[in-house]
Amino acid sequence: MDNYRALQEFLGRFMPLSGEDFAILKKKSSVVHIRKKDIITDAGDTELYLYFVVKGLIREYFYKGSQQVTTDLISEGTITGSVTSFFTGAPSHFCLQAMEPCSLVAIHKGALEDLYRSNRSWEKFGRIITTHFLLQQEKQILNSTILSPRERFLHFLTAYNHLVQRVPQKYLASFLQIKPETFSRMKHLLRKNHKKQSVS
Amino acid sequence: MKNGFNHISAEMAQSALRYFQGFMPEFTVTDLQSLLQYCQIRKFPRKAKLVEEGEVDDYLNLVLSGLVRKYVRSNTKEQTLQLATEGHLVHSELSFLTRQPSLAILETLEPTLLLSLRFDKMEEALEHFPQGERMGRLMLTAMYIKKDERRYARASKTVRELFMDYVAHHPHMLQRVPQKYLASYLNIKPETFSRLKHLGRKPQKINGSSKNLT
Repeated sequence: MDNYRALQEFLGRFMPLSGEDFAILKKKSSVVHIRKKDIITDAGDTELYLYFVVKGLIREYFYKGSQQVTTDLISEGTITGSVTSFFTGAPSHFCLQAMEPCSLVAIHKGALEDLYRSNRSWEKFGRIITTHFLLQQEKQILNSTILSPRERFLHFLTAYNHLVQRVPQKYLASFLQIKPETFSRMKHLLRKNHKKQSVS
Repeated sequence: MKNGFNHISAEMAQSALRYFQGFMPEFTVTDLQSLLQYCQIRKFPRKAKLVEEGEVDDYLNLVLSGLVRKYVRSNTKEQTLQLATEGHLVHSELSFLTRQPSLAILETLEPTLLLSLRFDKMEEALEHFPQGERMGRLMLTAMYIKKDERRYARASKTVRELFMDYVAHHPHMLQRVPQKYLASYLNIKPETFSRLKHLGRKPQKINGSSKNLT
């Protein structure tokens, strides 16, 4: 039941959610456990689920020829899935892969539609949550536009500090659109600067 | 400023209706008339700033006629984020929705007519319309999808492909928008943009058009 508690807390941040309402949501969703390295959604699949990450780490990437380009890293306490595919029904551009064993609360597209149609406050809830993700997306766009590669790197280290240990460096570099050598160098420079500060 | 159906042309009312029906097919002319009570028609000349950097964006806008450029400044450079023409929504989302000072600047490139919804009126409209929440959610989702698709295109396509795709889908934009803004929007260097544009213009040798003869 811990799995659902994390979801309830997350949703509660957006709008008051009664125990009754949450029970309805619980009935329409399910907990799934994913093994490390499993592909949750493959490129070309039609995404049928949205997932709340209770535990674990997911990497979003696509294939540029034979190369993987990492586009997102998703950890505990947020919603994921191949969102565009989920809403449009078009094949997913992206792959979603578990980097660690994951526990997810999954809701099927049909069940979510039922929820929205059933009650106006679910629609409102949906609107508020969609707003949240739109704003997050816009912030990311603005950051990647305004910040220099170095600033992006520093911002990442602050905002995603908890991921730095969990994710192999090559994926972090890909995600930041920095060459792996540059990533190493920046990380090394950062450590050097910190050392200087702590000595004085 | 007066609101209402009478102040926009029948054609514009039709396009606005079609725009909303794109999200909800059941949206009627009567629904549009009700919604218009909450909206304002705003008119701007060329090179007018709708939103300055640091201002809070109070309006969600649907372009009825004209062209709006959304951009951010980073150091001395400008990056164009959106070029909104007729039938497109434009606003500084982050500012509008969070009520914080805008990082983006909105400016008209042509004389422009907007159907605008002020933030406080939007909240009223959401309360009033039974389907308001749904419409809002669907519009927000569409915005999200558009940006997600753009993210993918920019990461996966070559500069040439991005250029060709854009020109194929928006042929008239090459005439309407200064090259530097298009290049910025597509994240292509101005010199590369010129070169690609020139390549596209090479004369066809198929017909015997006298234009091709020196």
